[in-house]
Amino acid sequence: MAKMNELTRVLFYIQAYVVLAWCFTDMETGPSNGLSTQPNGDRFKIEGRAIVPGVRTQDWVSKARVLVEGEEFVGFLRTDGSFAVNDIPPGSYVVEVVTPAYKFDPVRVDITSKGKMRARLVNHIKTSEVIRMPYPLQIRSPGPNIYFTKRETWGWTDFLMNPMVMMMVLPLLIIVLLPKVVNTNDPEMRKEMEQSMNMLNPNPELPDVSEFMTKLFSGGSKGSGKPSGSSSSKGTRPAVKRR
Amino acid sequence: MAISIITGGFSVFLLCHFAGAVFEDQVGKFDWRQQYAGKVRFALFDMHVQSSKKVLMATEKNVFASVNTRTGDLAWRHVDSTGPEGNIDSLLLHGQDAVLVVGDGRLLRSWDINVGGLNWEMVLDTGSFQAASFVGHLDSVRYVAVLKKAAISLHYLSNGHQKWLENLPESDSVQYQAVYSEGDGEVYALGLVPNSHIYIVAFSVEDGEIIKQVTVEAPWLSDLGANCVVVGQGVLMCVDVATLSLYTLDLHLDSEMTQIPLQTLELEVSPGFQPVLTSTQPNAAQAPLSEFFLQLGPEHHLLLQLKDNKVVTLRDFQPSLLVSFATTGEKTVAAVMATKNTTACTIILYSADSGRRLLDTTLIFTMEPNGGKPERLYIQAFLKKDDSVGYRVMVQSEDHTLTFMQQPGRVMWTREEALSDVVTMEMVDLPLTGTQAELEGEFGKKADGLCSMVLKRLSSQLTLLQAWMGHLWKLFYDARKPRSQVKNDVTMETLSRDEFNLQKMMIMVTASGKLFGIDSKTGTIVWKHYLENVPANAAFKLMVQRTTAHFPHPPQCTLLIKDKDTGLGVLHVFNPIFGKKSHITPPSLPQPILQSLLLPIMDQDYAKVLLLIDDQYKVSAFPSTKNVLQQLQEMASSIFFYLADPSQGRLAGYRLLTDLSTELLWEVVLPVEVQKILFVKGKRGNEHVHSQGRVMGDRSVLYKYLNPNLLAVVTESTDPHPERSFVGILLIDGVTGRIIHNAVQRKARGPVHLVHSENWVVYKYWSSKSRRNEFSVLELYEGMELYNSTVFSSLDRPHVPQVLQQSYIFPTSISTLEATLTEKGITSRHLLVGLPSGAILSLPKMFLDPRRPEIVTEQSREENLIPYAPEMPIRSEWFINYNQTVARVRGIYTAPSGLESTCLVVAYGLDIYQTRVYPSKQFDVLKDDYDYMLISSVLFGLFFATMISKRLAEVKLLNRAWR
Repeated sequence: MAKMNELTRVLFYIQAYVVLAWCFTDMETGPSNGLSTQPNGDRFKIEGRAIVPGVRTQDWVSKARVLVEGEEFVGFLRTDGSFAVNDIPPGSYVVEVVTPAYKFDPVRVDITSKGKMRARLVNHIKTSEVIRMPYPLQIRSPGPNIYFTKRETWGWTDFLMNPMVMMMVLPLLIIVLLPKVVNTNDPEMRKEMEQSMNMLNPNPELPDVSEFMTKLFSGGSKGSGKPSGSSSSKGTRPAVKRR
Repeated sequence: MAISIITGGFSVFLLCHFAGAVFEDQVGKFDWRQQYAGKVRFALFDMHVQSSKKVLMATEKNVFASVNTRTGDLAWRHVDSTGPEGNIDSLLLHGQDAVLVVGDGRLLRSWDINVGGLNWEMVLDTGSFQAASFVGHLDSVRYVAVLKKAAISLHYLSNGHQKWLENLPESDSVQYQAVYSEGDGEVYALGLVPNSHIYIVAFSVEDGEIIKQVTVEAPWLSDLGANCVVVGQGVLMCVDVATLSLYTLDLHLDSEMTQIPLQTLELEVSPGFQPVLTSTQPNAAQAPLSEFFLQLGPEHHLLLQLKDNKVVTLRDFQPSLLVSFATTGEKTVAAVMATKNTTACTIILYSADSGRRLLDTTLIFTMEPNGGKPERLYIQAFLKKDDSVGYRVMVQSEDHTLTFMQQPGRVMWTREEALSDVVTMEMVDLPLTGTQAELEGEFGKKADGLCSMVLKRLSSQLTLLQAWMGHLWKLFYDARKPRSQVKNDVTMETLSRDEFNLQKMMIMVTASGKLFGIDSKTGTIVWKHYLENVPANAAFKLMVQRTTAHFPHPPQCTLLIKDKDTGLGVLHVFNPIFGKKSHITPPSLPQPILQSLLLPIMDQDYAKVLLLIDDQYKVSAFPSTKNVLQQLQEMASSIFFYLADPSQGRLAGYRLLTDLSTELLWEVVLPVEVQKILFVKGKRGNEHVHSQGRVMGDRSVLYKYLNPNLLAVVTESTDPHPERSFVGILLIDGVTGRIIHNAVQRKARGPVHLVHSENWVVYKYWSSKSRRNEFSVLELYEGMELYNSTVFSSLDRPHVPQVLQQSYIFPTSISTLEATLTEKGITSRHLLVGLPSGAILSLPKMFLDPRRPEIVTEQSREENLIPYAPEMPIRSEWFINYNQTVARVRGIYTAPSGLESTCLVVAYGLDIYQTRVYPSKQFDVLKDDYDYMLISSVLFGLFFATMISKRLAEVKLLNRAWR
């Protein structure tokens, strides 16, 4: 279905292009020259209508303007949303309706030196591509301008699904639940656990960094330093590794 | 196609990372906007409803606006194009329709003043505009008459359609200057052949037929508009200064003027003063009143009445500064403003038909100490319940200020319309508070004994504690009130630096010559100073000579005002915090000034030295104490400057010599026939670059070419033909004159906007080949190793830098371009682009990186380079001013704050908008939505949990021990 649509659209574009190329053969070199304003040349009028679906025109027209090629020519909207920008020499222009609240897509309007008008989609990359739009312009707003991003709000689910929290909660569960499942008072079990603990610490002979540091900073008092150092080594070793 | 989708997806992904978007709850928290309209040309009060709260203003900035008289805010505003096409020639108001003649009589527009929408717009025939007037018929206003040089046309008020258009007879010899109608079916066009005769043509309203043509001899009259008014039942009243007489002419009957010498009225004209007549026509469908004002001197007005072809003096007002008529209902009053003393004026109402003073109508207008004189008076009269006339008044001053007042002198609002035309600005740090300064000062002194030192320290700590408590109390007090009600009273006392230096003083220089000091946090105008006798075409340059860091020396700013025609300059030295003119007398500048530069060297009072180069290439210093001159002599060999002369296409570099003369070092001449210099831009002096290079994907470093003396010269071809036009960029070392790089953009034209910073230049031009706006970025690199990493010297850099360039399509045209600036330059840079729609786009510099690859490789991904896409994205989330658009944005000023992440931004044009941007998000401070509640509740929860578990553990232990 989508393919079909696309195909018909492409066909339509091709058709439109062919028709336009036939209509505007004199245009292809024309517009670029047209921009240099001729003082006594004919001046034309760009007409159209801007529509914001579902909003009364009175609510937004007072803040809207029609800009032709930046601010080169300015037009205003009537109370019914229609507009006309007067005194425009032949050329090719990007026409834009600007209003803070609503978004409007720009349209390119070509005016020949004889006053023939056509409107087409703005394409800055393929500038000669012609996808025709209705003239007088019918500019429909796709919706309000979105200026704001949503704040990340705090929720319990976010908190719980956080990997860090998961990592903390699961070991906690294991610590609390494991002793209940496994009987620690059983001597065989204890032996097994000790073995597995030793497996975790692969090389007990290796000098520990924290031990080394405590030795270094505790200075001469070696006697008192040793037990505390050994006790801390057990506690901090995993921490060091984690780093 | 697939690739573009992928890149699209990638950029969307990136967007989440860099976007400096605004959150909805931040609206108005750090930003503010002030909207202006410009110097008022026409102002009319909406009278068609008794309770109306509108005043309509047409300004010299081609803006038509409606202002709420209760608050002084703009209800709506229509900004037309700049230049003569948008110039508002005339404003007429009838009921709820305002009719404007725009663009030298090219367009006739009617606005609905309630909605602010256009009723209709008509294109008129060419011909220079002379006058416009409502034409009434059968007691109602139905038409608008527009008088042009050679034709008169009548339009329906309801839809703008032309009723008739008639050519004026003998229009090549007669200058038609006024149009008059009193609703009796005739429209009069009044013309004049200077110093010969008056020519009067009467047209029928119905079909434009010429009813009669009259020629009246008036050899003394040279200007109809300035000397004549219509009073009473169609009597043309003229004043002539040569014969000191009034002349009257009944348009309906007479063919000769009646002379009434002023002596017969026992009146005298001040010597050298051109008398002025003022009349009033409250209703276009009826004749004007027979009362009128005659001004005989700068402070002398008379209320006169025309009665049976005789002029009667109703009242003599002396002294009187300004007069104005106002009508409400059937009553017309005359308001007279007179100087009371040097600081205040009184406004009193008089009945227009008798000249009798109305009771209880005195209003006192207090003039600003450093403001301009009142210039015009707009009266809004209304009927009170007891049928007496009450009024409000809008006073327009020379400095473009509008003051709206009601009796007995309460200022309801003021609008500083001068701020619609800000030329240049600076931001200055606020000073420390008195207590902070005292603490600082303590370290300086040593003489006191130990005991007194301790006591002093304790007392100052106490005052600090007290200030802190006060601050906390205020915070607590304000927190309970909604944000809109919190009053931010900014006084001199509360103006002090905050902890992150986010609040600064904005010094704004306007084209009218009025200076403003604005608090950047709230937008409150702290001080204003009107400089008189500033030429209309003056160029301004504002320099901060001494910042607030040198307590007890006051901060000092210097404004150089230069007449563009003569080149003669004046210096105005002032304190930027209080706006007071400094007691230091600046040097007088008898010679035209070519260039000024602020040196980093300071005199003994910590004021930076300002050098001024005159047209004889002699240099004068300010301040020019002995100390400064000595320093200058020592430094002279390393002080260089450049001069650009666009008229001759000449760019020259000079060096300072020890005797304060100069020596030409280099010269570049760009042939004027081929190209003209648009502008020359160096780097900003207060810019810091944090990293010397960029780390590449393979862990090698590409060093930046950071030449502080680099100048970017932009040229444009003089040939406007789109095939042959070009824009040129020249990068020149300002010390040696060496051309570092030269780039030419063919088939391109201006306007060019350029930002020059760090090691890059970004510029925008119009590609006439593809009819689109394009951005181009140039980046300069030294290469993989630095030549001299400790210090940069222009004289010793043998290698030419590598230059990388890339161009992009920008989908809309732009108004201005600027880059963000932070304290240490660690934060990534964004470009701030002012768009014609009024939005300010914050575009990450990352998108303008000439190293953006076309094909993504492992290394480029490592470097976080975005794949090249020809079209630059614009997203409305990147608009830092959301819906607070800045009309006609003309400049963007960026200033670093005390926080590295934060850059202060002020956009000015017709409006002023101030905000903060965080190009790399707020990495150095807790976000403003930081959840203190959550963190503290978690902390307390954990604390109690440990307490409880401790207790439980104790119980358990005890139980176990018992077992």
